[in-house]
Amino acid sequence: MHLFTLFLIDAWFAWIPAVGFAMVFNVPRNMLIYCALGGSFAHSLRFLLMTMGIPIEGATFIASGAMGFLGVYWSRKHLVPRPVFTVAAVIPMIPGSLAFSTILGLMELNSSGYSVKLMAIITENGLSTLFTLSALSFGLALPSILIYRGRPIV
Amino acid sequence: MGLSHKKQIKLTRITIKAGQILLQHGAESQLVEQTTQRIGIALGASSIELSVSLDAIVLTSIFGSDCVTTTRRCYDRGINMQMVCDVQRICVMLEKKLLDTDQVSDRLNRLEPYYYNRYLVALMIGLSCSSFSHFFGGDWPVYITSFFASCSAMILRQELAARQHNPFVIFALSAFLATSIASLGVIYDFGEKPQIAIAASVLLLVPGFPFINAISDVLKGHISTGIARWVFATLLTISVSFGIITSLALINVSLGWII
Repeated sequence: MHLFTLFLIDAWFAWIPAVGFAMVFNVPRNMLIYCALGGSFAHSLRFLLMTMGIPIEGATFIASGAMGFLGVYWSRKHLVPRPVFTVAAVIPMIPGSLAFSTILGLMELNSSGYSVKLMAIITENGLSTLFTLSALSFGLALPSILIYRGRPIV
Repeated sequence: MGLSHKKQIKLTRITIKAGQILLQHGAESQLVEQTTQRIGIALGASSIELSVSLDAIVLTSIFGSDCVTTTRRCYDRGINMQMVCDVQRICVMLEKKLLDTDQVSDRLNRLEPYYYNRYLVALMIGLSCSSFSHFFGGDWPVYITSFFASCSAMILRQELAARQHNPFVIFALSAFLATSIASLGVIYDFGEKPQIAIAASVLLLVPGFPFINAISDVLKGHISTGIARWVFATLLTISVSFGIITSLALINVSLGWII
């Protein structure tokens, strides 16, 4: 029951960034609801997978893959291109903090000199950013790579 | 079906206009390529060959033994999914024979980007970044700090973007403002872990769309465009970090917790 409450809270807080960034990307008004649904679906799915012990890269890959297939369904239904929903929906999962801390670490390395401890943190953060981001985009591209293979979806 | 030289020129112009709109408003290369080819073929060309790069399109329409080639520069006009939707809709309507050549050209020229009310966007971005602070384990005071920090950063970003500043300058200055406001929370010890607000309030400046477009371009075979987008997004990240580190150095907040 406790897990379920956490799951609901996670889903609630995930739709807000999805809609916020969808508005920055000027997604049409009637599609915002799908961005919100997709955002909370993908982020809460990833939360659930991570509590089951799957590492963040794998969980992100599964969640964004699921979002990619959901996006195919919605885009064929409404005749709009897929990035309109999918990109805004996965925005809450982008490892932005890790990316910034990698670059900040590199700047710190430059100003304060090389240290093994700092380099270890930079490498871990950088690799995690790279793999999470690749997993995210690869998951979204799964339908067009595996099923459509170059044919248009809409 | 015949296609006179004059008509082929017109067709090429319409087709590249559609491609230009798509590329300028942040569509991935695969979508640009597919949509322009579908529009060109629906208008009567035998095939459309195009080369998409980050800031220009070269397009050739082929009909029988006639080729017409044209090039357009595509300056970045900001991500606007509504324009991408509209071009896609025109393409689908054309394929279903609901529009003829003149109507397509007319509609493409009449497309105007729609923008949300900027203060509404700033409000939603403020709420988004405070939601991120919740994901990082912040409490209510941190939520409030990150809301105000990211709201003001978003307003600054819109102001600078309206004045056509360089994107790197915009991102660095907005990061500077967001970090400065969020570090007030650290200075006055507002909430349990006020440092979270600094990490959360700069997240409105993550170049998520360019990063995702970059990887999906590479995956779908547009490797040079993908690399260009990746470099652009990485440089944006570096300029945000530059803004953060300048602000932290000026206000003298320790960096230890971030890295």
